[in-house]
Amino acid sequence: MFNQLAEINEIRNSLKIMALNLNANFMISTIDKEYIIKIEKGMVSEVKNGPFIMPSYTFKLTAPLEEWNKFLKAIPKPGSHDLIALLRRKVLKIDGNLHPFMSHLLYFKLLLASLRPKEKI
Amino acid sequence: MKIKIEPITGHYGNFNFDGVNHRIYWEEAGQGIPLVCLHTAGSDGRQYRALLNDAKILKNFRVIVFDMPWHGKSSPPEGSKIGHYKLSTKSYISQILGFIDGLELINPVVMGCSIGGRIILHLASDHEEKFRALIGLQSAGHLDPYYDIDWLHRQDVHGGEICGAIAYGLMAPTSPEEERFETMWHYMQGGPGVFKGDLFFYKFDGNIGNKIKEIDNSKCPIFLLTGEYDYSATPEETKSLADTIGVNMIKMKNVGHFPMSENPKEFLKYLYPVLDEIL
Repeated sequence: MFNQLAEINEIRNSLKIMALNLNANFMISTIDKEYIIKIEKGMVSEVKNGPFIMPSYTFKLTAPLEEWNKFLKAIPKPGSHDLIALLRRKVLKIDGNLHPFMSHLLYFKLLLASLRPKEKI
Repeated sequence: MKIKIEPITGHYGNFNFDGVNHRIYWEEAGQGIPLVCLHTAGSDGRQYRALLNDAKILKNFRVIVFDMPWHGKSSPPEGSKIGHYKLSTKSYISQILGFIDGLELINPVVMGCSIGGRIILHLASDHEEKFRALIGLQSAGHLDPYYDIDWLHRQDVHGGEICGAIAYGLMAPTSPEEERFETMWHYMQGGPGVFKGDLFFYKFDGNIGNKIKEIDNSKCPIFLLTGEYDYSATPEETKSLADTIGVNMIKMKNVGHFPMSENPKEFLKYLYPVLDEIL
């Protein structure tokens, strides 16, 4: 489900201006599956699919698949509409070096929301 | 080209809050019953731009919105230093009562959102005789921290960008994008450490605790309205509060933490009947 992040579209292309100095690898976990997303100068250049033996990443977002699916609805329900909303409900865990994530918080929110069908920025 | 001039006028005034001079900016429009509006943490009075332009409300209410010290066009008080700002319950109440006294407002209605929705509970508990009615938007009695607010003021993170990002997520995805963007932009314009300083009140000092049981709704009518997409002050938390006070909670669909700013059109549908009841 997260492999599409590497596909350039209008929304993701418009986001790079918010993260031109960002180069990072981060992991998304659905508990059962893991993805490592590589960002270069604000663009997702690669998505690797796990399982990984010795993964190297800066930070990791972990939530059950069911919660990611709710987050990725075209119009998510209250409590599933934002990454921090998931954190508030304690269904998302964010760990590792959080500086790249928090210093580009809107970018990461919109990047993941770009996977929603017909989501506008 | 003929432009449309809004009915809002802006003013600066010098107020004495707790013995210290404060240069405060406020905007107002309309005539009739004073309706003092309190903005959210880390933002300013522009959040109420729709109310200040709403002919139906302005016919019966004098809508007045001030920027808190450190916010919007109001100055920090004399002797201020970066990083030392912390809003306390005592100073917040002093600002509101001092502003009302300064403008010689008699028996106003006060409507506050978020931190404003919290402080109206303190006003209801300790100063209910001063108000015609109190309206809480996104009110909750307390809020346990659910993210590390130290991120809001660090020299290696752009304060405007992170405060805007936090505010953006608190809005409903169904709110109009242009209003969401403007609401976020107000947060992006806040000074260093101001949002975090306001949250000291919201998450720690302003906890209403058992004082909530002292609120007597018969002395001063209280109205509580909360947007369904708010995960900071959730509808469930406002409902619990409303049950304790003994009032109805109005749950607003398709709005989040900033109803008056992120989706004014939807918000006004809920506000009109409340104001009609107050008239």
